[in-house]
Amino acid sequence: MPEIFHRKLERSAIGLVIAIIAAASVGGIVEIAPLFTIDETVEEAPDMRMYTPLELAGRNIYVREGCYACHSQMIRTLRDEVERYGPYSLAVESKYDRPMLWGSKRTGPDLARVGGKYSDFWHVAHLTNPRDVVPESNMPAYRWLARTSLKMEDLPLHLAAQKALGVPYTDEMVENAARDAYGQATPDTDFAAGVATRYGDETQVSAFDGVKTDVTEMDALVAYLQILGRLTGAAYENTAAPEGKPNPEG
Amino acid sequence: MEVNERDPVSGRETTGHEWNGIKELDTPVPRGVLLFLIVTHLWAIAWWFLVPAWPLGTTYTRGLLGVDQRQTVEARVVDGQRERAAWMARLEKEPYDAIQADEALMQTVRNTGRQLFGDNCAACHGRDGKGRANYPDLTDDDWLWGGGPQLIEQTMRVGINTRHPESRVGQMPAFGRDEVLDRDQVRSVAAYVYSLSHPDYSTADNLKRIEAGREVFLTTCAACHGEDGKGNRDVGAPNLTDTHWIYGSDLDTIIASVHGGRQGHMPTWDERLTTAEIRTIALYVHDLGTQQP
Amino acid sequence: MIRQLTSSERQNAAVIAIAVAIVGLAMAAVGRTDVLGVHGVMVMLFAGAVLFYVLSGLYQPEPTEDRETSYYDDPIKVGIVLSMAWAVFGMFMGVWVAAQLAWPNLAFDAGWSSFGRLRPTHTTGVIFGFGGNALIATSFHVVQRTSRARLAGQLSPWFVLLGYNLFCLLAVSGYLIGVTQSKEYAEAEWYADIWLVIVWVTYFILYLRTIARRKEPHIYVANWYFMAFILVVAILHIVNNLALPISWGHAKSYTVWPGVQDAMVQWWYGHNAVAFFLTAGFLGMLYYYLPVRAQRPIFSYRLSILSFWGITFFYMWAGSHHLHYTALPHWVQTLGMTFSVMLLVPSWASAGNALLTLNGAWHRVRDDATLRFMMAAAVFYGISTFEGSFLAIRPVNSLSHYTDWTVGHVHAGALGWVALITFGSLYTLVPSLWKRERMYSAALVEVHFWLAIAGTLIYVFAMWNSGIIQGLMWRTYTEEGALAYSFVDSLVAMYPYYIARAFGGLLFLIGAVVGCYNIWMTVRSAPLAAPLNADVPIAPAVAGE
Ligand code: HEC
Ligand code: HEC
Ligand code: HEC
Ligand code: HEM
Ligand code: HEM
Ligand SMILES: [Ca+2]
Ligand SMILES: [Ca+2]
Ligand SMILES: [Cu+2]
Repeated sequence: MPEIFHRKLERSAIGLVIAIIAAASVGGIVEIAPLFTIDETVEEAPDMRMYTPLELAGRNIYVREGCYACHSQMIRTLRDEVERYGPYSLAVESKYDRPMLWGSKRTGPDLARVGGKYSDFWHVAHLTNPRDVVPESNMPAYRWLARTSLKMEDLPLHLAAQKALGVPYTDEMVENAARDAYGQATPDTDFAAGVATRYGDETQVSAFDGVKTDVTEMDALVAYLQILGRLTGAAYENTAAPEGKPNPEG
Repeated sequence: MEVNERDPVSGRETTGHEWNGIKELDTPVPRGVLLFLIVTHLWAIAWWFLVPAWPLGTTYTRGLLGVDQRQTVEARVVDGQRERAAWMARLEKEPYDAIQADEALMQTVRNTGRQLFGDNCAACHGRDGKGRANYPDLTDDDWLWGGGPQLIEQTMRVGINTRHPESRVGQMPAFGRDEVLDRDQVRSVAAYVYSLSHPDYSTADNLKRIEAGREVFLTTCAACHGEDGKGNRDVGAPNLTDTHWIYGSDLDTIIASVHGGRQGHMPTWDERLTTAEIRTIALYVHDLGTQQP
Repeated sequence: MIRQLTSSERQNAAVIAIAVAIVGLAMAAVGRTDVLGVHGVMVMLFAGAVLFYVLSGLYQPEPTEDRETSYYDDPIKVGIVLSMAWAVFGMFMGVWVAAQLAWPNLAFDAGWSSFGRLRPTHTTGVIFGFGGNALIATSFHVVQRTSRARLAGQLSPWFVLLGYNLFCLLAVSGYLIGVTQSKEYAEAEWYADIWLVIVWVTYFILYLRTIARRKEPHIYVANWYFMAFILVVAILHIVNNLALPISWGHAKSYTVWPGVQDAMVQWWYGHNAVAFFLTAGFLGMLYYYLPVRAQRPIFSYRLSILSFWGITFFYMWAGSHHLHYTALPHWVQTLGMTFSVMLLVPSWASAGNALLTLNGAWHRVRDDATLRFMMAAAVFYGISTFEGSFLAIRPVNSLSHYTDWTVGHVHAGALGWVALITFGSLYTLVPSLWKRERMYSAALVEVHFWLAIAGTLIYVFAMWNSGIIQGLMWRTYTEEGALAYSFVDSLVAMYPYYIARAFGGLLFLIGAVVGCYNIWMTVRSAPLAAPLNADVPIAPAVAGE
């Protein structure tokens, strides 16, 4: 009986097309659509903040350089991962991440909670040549980051796009994106204050790469690395993990 | 009705179609495959009943076992804490000398400290703790802030030059860049400092420069590094007369240290690590080679 | 090649090339300071080259009236050449990135040559460049032969093939200059994604119309698979790549899916790219070239049905096995795990169907390296799908995920299955397409076979070892209940395996180069005076049908 049915089906190209689409659609719909309708999928985190323009620029460099090919940003619900890296990652922690950077390979360690673990200076040395600080490392050297000025004039466009997709940036943040990026990496200038007003006093304003005059890609990337795991303290609440809450000021 | 051909090898009939020479046998689906299909389906269905599985609008089936990966891992982490409780509690509370006197417990410190040190400290101080350019050697029994376990613990908790309210502050001013000393003075004082650890540098040729440097040193540097240059733990100023150097003992690096200053940043570990972990590492680091109490 | 086109078709080709060039010009103009401008120039050059070729042949003699009485093989030939070129490029990149992991200084002090940028050129180069061109070429061949009809278009096959390669070029060059969305296996940016949609829809229409012309009442299994491949990849591609560019003048875009939803969409895509690109498409190849080469009927038509619908239905549920223990809700993981295990049945049904088809032809497997390629491919297909279902079980995945075990599994599938079935198919296809009696050198096919097998085994065993060691080191506890190894300890343990893997990959690459040479020499040798049998459509199709 099924063969007879199938013998009919396989005589019709359109029939086959419709059957394939039908068979192939179910799984995706059942698994993806409810992620938008089940509220507990993404936890509440009232203290969650957005990336500053500099951090967002750094994130884009992380994407561009393909760091995700070696580093995960997703601590799984496994004892050894919680004990090595800190509290397991929550969905809310990547709620503003487009795309997400959970990763699928750990050639290097997980970076979900690396923010504040090392000094800016260490990150610069490490990115400049990882083997200077970790002789065993097989991570590439990213020397040119410190030589390349950060392209800041497009940042309002970046924030506007994020805003259009639902990230709650205000118009003021969009407008000041380039200035704020500059200010966050140049602590002694007038622009620095604006970052704190718009993104909170706990935002790290610092000459990330050690040079206070120019804003480089290194500044942006280090600013991003230093905020990883510190956008919200939600993961530290209601967890058996013993660590304290992160202090965004480090 | 087509008359189906019979395949001579298998003796089975074909389906009667041919595509550019390709034919198909009408072999029934082997029993094993169907059985396998049924077994995997039954297994899947059982699983769906037991654990969270199917979405239902705004909620999902929770499963009879009532498990969720988050509760599971938290229970495992608590199990782990319980497993370690006996020695962890001692490491957390007992005075250091009592722990050090207990060889078995010290073995535990060595076993567990290696990983903790490797995942947290080795990035700067090296897996062997011997440091490298810009990061101090922790095995040489030469300390900026003190090498007893208690002092190491303190250094770890508050960090050096951090934003922690009690941070240790070790600031070597930028004498050259900030124009406190002129070029010549910087070179002279560097030569003097160099001579402290390199006695054969004090040749007749260099003597004048060294002497001039000594003057500068006594007025400018001694406040922190001491008149004898042997350092001062209160301000984290290193001993400049020995062979242990953070940034380097060659003349150029010393000039760079004096010209641009040094403000090494050692992070705080108060929040990232638990008290027991911090004390384990403090003992582990102390055990790496330090004699100081 | 241009002689197969009528002069109005040549004009249409020129118009399309001009239109594409104008789009390129527009991209270059609005994207001046942005990397988008670089790609605009590339599009322009590509379209310009096509235009130049078309114009230079504009006045060549036109095809005779009876072109419908023969199969349309020119695009297939070009597809095969492109596929082999991409194979060498992609595998060279694979060997390079493998070597970088063992000797990290094997990069120039430049952005483009660092691991993170080269790695996607490898994955895109082999999957889309090598695999995709092979799929397009073989699907054009299979659909014509099994339908006994000429392709339902003269220009569209070229549009599909060249347009697709333009996409691959944009993707790969983009990673090198820093254009990427970071979505695994879909890294290309929005404009390339849109272009691929256009190309792919054309491909689908062409394929469907050719099937509609068939002279056989029934659609052959290989075509079911090719159709599923084309259709589902289109759906996956569109949903996964929905993104908002920051402006029309910038290459950068932000994906519409945030965080956890993006994770699910990405792996729904990523896993089914494996399923419908690397599996369904290549099963289409297997179902044609294996029985042809073995000269045996397919073992079981009914098993084919079970396998096909099982794969089409179950695979789509399995993507969440890439997200076990993550912040994706537990319930989705359960579905991913259970469906992955159920998926094993249809997967093995296909592998079994292939191997049982060889009953009565094992002496050929022994003597003919080409058939052996396909036999080994079916075996590796069985191995990698078994391994896949095993890795999808949560506790197993807790060990394997993030480690080289995944990479081992990938290459058991990619080298052992995808590449071997492709080489086997091409060695069958090339002589018949170029009307040669056989490949230039059977000995070189044999050499290629053993290089490929050795390379695959070395690669896969090295990664199984390193992956399991890595996974175990991360979770080993001391007697005291504390972690035993730091991360860097595990890294140090990886180096010997990284060296072994690079060596295995090198063998595989050499094999592919040998294959290129052999194909080249086959093409160059003299054609048979009279083709052995009439390889033509059943009856001339009426124009406009
Ligand atoms: C080839 C793989 C590879 C790539 C690509 C890579 N890394 Fe790494 N990374 C490693 C390895 C291995 C380590 C561990 C050894 C070390 O610290 O260097 C590491 C360590 C790190 C650490 C320290 C983590 C810790 O907790 O100790 C940071 C931060 C980091 N990488 C950031 C980056 C960034 C940012 C990029 C991209 C610009 C990047 N990595 C690209 C392999 C890689
Ligand atoms: C980001 C790099 C970094 C990391 C990670 C780091 N340290 Fe340090 N550490 C330093 C620097 C830099 C100094 C020297 C500060 C100075 O020069 O004043 C230092 C100094 C110290 C000192 C004081 C040495 C003395 O002579 O008194 C101790 C003790 C120490 N570190 C222990 C640790 C331990 C234990 C860990 C891990 C839990 C650790 N460090 C992790 C950078 C680091
Ligand atoms: C305000 C206190 C202070 C004064 C004054 C001072 N130093 Fe220092 N010096 C330090 C501290 C603290 C460090 C360690 C900084 C670090 O490790 O980050 C240091 C480090 C150094 C080092 C680097 C040691 C190494 O291991 O690489 C040299 C060399 C040095 N000082 C020389 C001098 C000279 C010469 C002068 C006078 C011209 C001077 N210092 C004045 C506090 C001082
Ligand atoms: C010459 C042979 C090859 C070598 C040396 C090679 C090497 C590599 C290396 C080093 C990686 C990165 C692994 C990592 O990040 O740790 C990789 C990834 C990958 N390769 Fe290959 N490769 C080869 C052939 C192929 C082929 C023929 C295919 C597909 C048809 C393929 C598909 C992939 C895929 C899909 C990944 C990504 C895996 C993941 O993200 O888990 N490779 N390859
Ligand atoms: C029954 C069939 C299969 C199942 C159930 C399956 C399952 C899996 C699982 C569980 C993973 C690991 C995910 C992770 O931990 O990150 C994986 C990864 C992968 N598999 Fe399979 N697999 C199957 C067949 C194949 C085949 C035939 C190929 C062909 C090449 C393949 C290619 C890949 C690739 C490329 C990845 C890496 C994805 C990434 O992380 O980048 N799989 N598969
Ligand atoms: Ca991957
Ligand atoms: Ca894309
Ligand atoms: Cu998968």
